[in-house]
Amino acid sequence: MTNHFIDYKNSDVVMVIGANPAENHPQAMKWILRGKAERGTKLIVVDPRFTKTAAHADIYAPIRPGTDIAFLLGIINYALEHNLYFHDYVVNYTNASFLVDPNFKFEDGLFSGATTKDGQFVYDPTTWQYQKDKDGKIKRDPTLQDPNCVFQVLKRFVSRYDIKTVCRVTGTPEDVYRQVCELYCSTGRPDKAGNIVYAMGITQHTYGSQNVRAVAILQLLLGNIGIAGGGINAQRGESNVQGSTDMAMLYHLLPGYLSCPDATRHPTLKDYLEKETPKTSFWSNTPKFLISQLKAWFGAKATPENEFCYQWLPKLDGKEHSHMAIFQSMAEGKIKGFFAWGQNPAVGGPAAEPTRKAMEKLDWLVVVDLFETETAAFWRRPGADPRKIKTEVFFLPAAFSYEKEGTVSNSGRWIQYRWKAVDPPGDAKSDLWIVDRLFKAVREEYRKGGRFPEPILNMVWDYDAPGSEEPDINKVALEINGYEVDTGKPLPGFAKLTNTGSTACGCWIYAGYWYPDPDLGVVAAKRRDRTDKTGLGLYPKWSFAWPANRRIVYNRCSCDPSGRPWDPARALVYWDGSKWVTFDVPDFGAKDLATGAEIPPEKSAQNPFIMVPEGVGRLFGAQYGPRAAALKDGPLPEHYEPIESPVRNLMSKQQNNPLAKIYQGEGAARGKPEKYPYILTTHRLVEHYQSGAVTRNSPWLTELMPEMFVGISPRLAAKLGIKPGDRVVVLTARGKVYGRASVLPTLQPLKVDGKEVEVVALPWHWGYQGMAPGDSANVVTALFGDPNTFIPEYKALLCDVRKA
Amino acid sequence: MPKAVLVDLTKCIGCRSCMVACKQWNDLPAERQGFVNDWATPRDTTAETWTVVKYYIEDKGGRVVWRFVKRQCMHCVDPACVKACFAGALRKTPEGPVIQDPSRCIACLYCFNACPFQVPRYRTGGEGPVIMQKCRFCFDPGGIYDRVGQGQAPACVRACPGGALKFGEREALIKEAKERIAQNPGRYVNQVYGESEFGGTSWLYLSDVPFEELGFPSAARPAMLSLLTWTPLAAGLWLAAKEA
Repeated sequence: MTNHFIDYKNSDVVMVIGANPAENHPQAMKWILRGKAERGTKLIVVDPRFTKTAAHADIYAPIRPGTDIAFLLGIINYALEHNLYFHDYVVNYTNASFLVDPNFKFEDGLFSGATTKDGQFVYDPTTWQYQKDKDGKIKRDPTLQDPNCVFQVLKRFVSRYDIKTVCRVTGTPEDVYRQVCELYCSTGRPDKAGNIVYAMGITQHTYGSQNVRAVAILQLLLGNIGIAGGGINAQRGESNVQGSTDMAMLYHLLPGYLSCPDATRHPTLKDYLEKETPKTSFWSNTPKFLISQLKAWFGAKATPENEFCYQWLPKLDGKEHSHMAIFQSMAEGKIKGFFAWGQNPAVGGPAAEPTRKAMEKLDWLVVVDLFETETAAFWRRPGADPRKIKTEVFFLPAAFSYEKEGTVSNSGRWIQYRWKAVDPPGDAKSDLWIVDRLFKAVREEYRKGGRFPEPILNMVWDYDAPGSEEPDINKVALEINGYEVDTGKPLPGFAKLTNTGSTACGCWIYAGYWYPDPDLGVVAAKRRDRTDKTGLGLYPKWSFAWPANRRIVYNRCSCDPSGRPWDPARALVYWDGSKWVTFDVPDFGAKDLATGAEIPPEKSAQNPFIMVPEGVGRLFGAQYGPRAAALKDGPLPEHYEPIESPVRNLMSKQQNNPLAKIYQGEGAARGKPEKYPYILTTHRLVEHYQSGAVTRNSPWLTELMPEMFVGISPRLAAKLGIKPGDRVVVLTARGKVYGRASVLPTLQPLKVDGKEVEVVALPWHWGYQGMAPGDSANVVTALFGDPNTFIPEYKALLCDVRKA
Repeated sequence: MPKAVLVDLTKCIGCRSCMVACKQWNDLPAERQGFVNDWATPRDTTAETWTVVKYYIEDKGGRVVWRFVKRQCMHCVDPACVKACFAGALRKTPEGPVIQDPSRCIACLYCFNACPFQVPRYRTGGEGPVIMQKCRFCFDPGGIYDRVGQGQAPACVRACPGGALKFGEREALIKEAKERIAQNPGRYVNQVYGESEFGGTSWLYLSDVPFEELGFPSAARPAMLSLLTWTPLAAGLWLAAKEA
């Protein structure tokens, strides 16, 4: 999130697209309702289903699953056509005025640069760059008139997305869509704030990254980034998934969003730093972040002479190893052992049956969880023959979140310390206890010899708490926060990091979270002070928000170039003529770090988006060097149909994202609309959490939501002769699932290009374990993914439904 | 001063945290009521499910309306159930809650018949005698389930994330409810349900959808009430005669 949950109360208009906070983020819904009650916030809900969130909407806009880009580009087109965009913001704080290579083109649904490499479609992004003058500076036209300036390129590009065309694609009624455009574009004024809330409905598509780009472009055009009540607010799918991504539970990253070293591109530390460090933007500090990280991991062994032990880091092999790729490799017998740690891929992953089958190829599987999950029990799942499965399965019982202490990072980047409430039952242990013992056991093995023992034997691993069986979490936290190597003193923030080896820091963005607050006498993450001077709900002394305790990122954009707040009632920072007045931690150079002198606003107005090398928001996602590569599938988001779609693409002859990732095997089978005429989507319910591993073992929650069901519209039910509660079967090219029919007017057919299209909705919380078993929706989902993030398509597929 | 809860239905998001909080606080077991089409299982209060959130989903000519309505004992100001209970198991407390002494309940069903909201339900399974059980407003003087007597809000109110439930003094909450109606023209129907319905209740409701569409009984039936009041009296006399 650029903003945070409490800030929702400051919005004039909230557009929820691809999220359902009333069901999945109830605490977020609280702040939307607060805004509605206290300031008359208007709520727009865009969803294929009339959800519990839609029940509170001022405008509910139905949308066909997988057509968000068309929906969003139509609003962008509306804003541009009707001059509703925030001109001064766009000129000063975005790349609207930058000139693009005149050879950049978009024709027949493809961007310039389409080519093939190793038989695969790829783009050569050479033409997706800015024009530069003799001195290497980007050429600009502040009048926004040059036909090659980003503004004009964007305007031409989205002009095809008129209301009529958009509604033919999305199935949204035209009058409703027009109301959405008018209401949302009303926030393109200095005194208005529009907030876009999204979740998995935006990301889980074969063009999920481009969906997010479309959201970003709209918010930049309306001047909604960097202001209170605005922002792009991605609600994360689990309570600490933000923390886990921050700490790099992703194959392509190191903690703090540093790129994972790749042996094919970064054989040496020098190569890494050269290729990953841009000349401008805050990422120019990358060497300080990485070298401090190496010092945290390898301590005194890490010296300038030995590349700070860079060669001890595991490196990528240039190939993709995301979730779906891992299970493909497993199915091919390339992976021998697997840890499923707080994860239940047998229910939660796409194409569940091939996933379960792939695990049969493992020599060993370790499951760390609260209950015996479907993953742990895959070898005796319905239809499997345990005698033929050789995988050795180890189950380690884990403590629940209230049975251990530590921090949880929420979607708004607040790192909050949570104290232990009760002891875990039986043999259950905290994750820290488990990982500590595991590492020590592995190290013991390496002491006897091994292929590459140095990284394991020399890693700093000193978290013992004398007299306690539990490792000392304070020691772990201090290492993540960072400390001076000589004194061991915690660092107040990442500004103190060096590239010389004098500082150690496990995750640069967390620097400061474990620094003692001088007034409150506790570390920042444990603060619980309720002071809110502005009334905007910033609560600067409640926990710690990364980075640097900043509550709203890019907050320089809340003021005009001369430092006057666009909206004094929502001021986060402002220049009073001689100095900066700061209610939030400034996200720009406000003071000279060395001298403490105030830096006048004209300087920071040049680069209010300090994390991108251009220094401004990117309406056009250009190819622009390290940490500013264009997305693989284009510099602008274009509508393509989902891999499985009931209709032809109305926008171009290019039916699907040409770069959509389609994996191998039965899980990637594609169904045709002739055989599978209905759109299939998946969703969650408030009563269950994720794969149901915990909630389907809780009597009170299974009481509330006992059985797998299949949502269908009253019209489809009538057509198929299905009555509420009937047992029905849903079929796709991958398999079938059974459930009870839930026939409610919350699902209605959509009129897409003159044709009625039905949506069938499946909750995905069930599996064959627990006290309330049921079929897993993911048995019928597919191994299709986004080319940038490789996130699976869970939201727009095709199916058939029959009475069982 | 009698306590009350104001339920603002425009703020309920149907998360049903109140239902779980009630079971957790009161040590009530889960029941298996099975799948229901509109997801709102359990559908109704029972002896072991003291509060439910009912869903009202309606297609009003292409516009869907979905409301979430928490129901439980209304804790009437002048409760018919107390009048009907000749065993003396039920009483209205000065604090507001209508509470029960289970040891005196003889499962005669009179309270069930008397209640205009059909709240009292009977525990029929498990060990122990058949008795009536219902929401006690987390008021359990001297007992382990007491919250209200300890100055705390009921468990359901404490759990509500949307701000739909507010605990306080009845008079103050009625005043606040009327202010909310006055200050938000068009947001609510002009009625604080429970202010005077059936002689007034301790659970008060605000809504943007007419209450009769949400399953609330619409008018007091004084004639019937008096009949119900007299019936147990007669029954009591009959029982007394029989014992003699």
